[in-house]
Amino acid sequence: MTLDLIFNVALLLFSIYCFIYIGSVDNSTATELGAAFWPRLILGIMIVLLAIGLVTTLRKKNGKGPISGEAVAGFFKSKLLIGMVICAATAVILPIIGFIPTSFLFLIAYGVLLGERRPVVLVVTGILATLVLYIVFQGPLSIFLPRGTGFFRNFALMMENILGMIPGL
Amino acid sequence: MLNTLVSGLQIVLSPSTFILIFAGTVVGVIFGALPGVSASMAVALALPFAYKMNGVVAIAFLCSVYCASITGGGITAILFKIPGTPSSAPTTFDGYPMAQRGEAGKALGYSLVASAIGGLIAAFAMALISAPLAAVALKFGPGELFAVAMLGLSVLTCLDNGNVIKTLVSGLLGLFLATIGMDPQTGVARFTWGSTTLLSGVEMIPVMIGLFAVTEVLKQTVKRSKKGGSDMESTGGSSKFKTTIPSIKEFFAVKWVMLRSSVLGTVVGILPGAGATIASFLSYTVEKKVSKHPEKFGTGIPDGIVASECANNAATGGAMVPLLALGIPGGNAAAIMMSALVLKGVQVGPLLVKSQPDYLSSVFGSMLVTNIIMVFVALAIAKVFAKILAIPYSVLGPIIIMLATIGSFALKNSTGDVVLMVAAGIIGYLFVSLGYSSAALVLGLVLGVMCEENLRRAYQIANGSWAKALSSPITIVLLLVCAAMILFPIIKGALPDKKAQK
Repeated sequence: MTLDLIFNVALLLFSIYCFIYIGSVDNSTATELGAAFWPRLILGIMIVLLAIGLVTTLRKKNGKGPISGEAVAGFFKSKLLIGMVICAATAVILPIIGFIPTSFLFLIAYGVLLGERRPVVLVVTGILATLVLYIVFQGPLSIFLPRGTGFFRNFALMMENILGMIPGL
Repeated sequence: MLNTLVSGLQIVLSPSTFILIFAGTVVGVIFGALPGVSASMAVALALPFAYKMNGVVAIAFLCSVYCASITGGGITAILFKIPGTPSSAPTTFDGYPMAQRGEAGKALGYSLVASAIGGLIAAFAMALISAPLAAVALKFGPGELFAVAMLGLSVLTCLDNGNVIKTLVSGLLGLFLATIGMDPQTGVARFTWGSTTLLSGVEMIPVMIGLFAVTEVLKQTVKRSKKGGSDMESTGGSSKFKTTIPSIKEFFAVKWVMLRSSVLGTVVGILPGAGATIASFLSYTVEKKVSKHPEKFGTGIPDGIVASECANNAATGGAMVPLLALGIPGGNAAAIMMSALVLKGVQVGPLLVKSQPDYLSSVFGSMLVTNIIMVFVALAIAKVFAKILAIPYSVLGPIIIMLATIGSFALKNSTGDVVLMVAAGIIGYLFVSLGYSSAALVLGLVLGVMCEENLRRAYQIANGSWAKALSSPITIVLLLVCAAMILFPIIKGALPDKKAQK
């Protein structure tokens, strides 16, 4: 099975589930369309189109699509998956450790993923880019970036105090 | 028109706004020049800077980033054969051969002047068309407005060369995402599964930032792990040149190319979903066909550069017409700008031009000023472009994602929006690599509320009669055009390929 087929089938099943699910909130009257009408119309057309797409893919590809089973296996060893995991981990740790440590760690981790091997370049880039982003947004643009919790919150508050001492920021 | 011009210049020439537009132009040109940063991504990354501005200034600032980024893409296309934005790809066909012949400065001069002329013509066209179009749209009832929104969606399927079914599914998925949350008319929760976060619906901005920034960085991650090395190394471009603005004689030699490309670019830009990329490719093809010397295209002639750069810049002005007059974005960047306006509490739609004309004036003024100052900004920056391009992607890519993270977080000071952005970016990557259309998804998401509200209102006014709800001549014509646009690519695909048979 190809990734294309898996995605098509998953989307089709999800659409059918949503189509049935939204039926429970149908509050249409003779002169008014209820909350379920529009989503059901969209999902109904989507189900038909996905079914046509599924049949077409099965007929054309005969099980071998542009993204084959080998590609799926390769995906689990690829930089793409690591990149996705780094991004997801960043979103998860951001409220816990705050902006500054998250940004520093992310810039280094993704830099390594993109092929940068020099530790000095990674650390300097991580520190400089984090500081520039932090100062620009937390300072003149008055966007309060996540502080984190516990020790990280105290660290963020200390940074905010230091920033507040800089004239013009 | 004159009022719009005066009012627009008053807005953009106030010192603080002018500085922001200047900064937007510099940032736009640099972003546009960087491979892997599209014009849509440039506008998405500029969003967090606009959060604290008032709506009129914010739209002027975002417009300057948008216009300048399209121009920036052309500069690297000429110097290094690297189109900074996809819309500058045709510029490489003639720009790079000229640069290789030692005429890089001249090619750059043609590119900048053509960009400015295209942008200026489109800005005037936008100011001329938007107000009358909005006035006509004001007479529309909910039935007509529903048909207009559907037309916006169906144009996309007609223009998309890929899989029609996948494009339609993408648009429908966008419409579906727009239904998540509390139903505005009856207060019923839809597809929230008990989550209070989902009650307010799917936030458009984190989804768009995810689709245009995170997805792109993931794409570049895959591309670079396969290719290795930097773009600069692979092209061997040179930064030793002196930019020469074309002489009056040279300028007049390409005047008709400029005019045709500007008009074509504006018209293509107006069509929802058909942005600067389609405009530049189409214009290049048209000019090659009408030229007396089609064989010279691709060998390094000014006509090719002018056709591409005039059209892609003209498309920026065109894309703003349906946004300002009808509340329908003409492209991805316009969709991001629309969501920024919605965030500011602006009611986007036909009433905008009449009730808050400052927005049209601001966009007009910003386009005029940006298209003029970007020539000088680009001339000044051109010398250091090689150094800007030397920034490795291992530095640039992660910074893009951190900027995107700030943009999503700052929307409501919520890390939930960052999670949404990352999810949109990852799903977007999968979506695009499987041949689905992210442009259609965004358009569906943006137009979803407008479609549903107007359809339900039309039905209610017609006392539950479908025949009455959709029976006005304008609605019927628009819906027939929609049907034709959706069916055309399907029928075209079903017919046997004559060329292949020959």
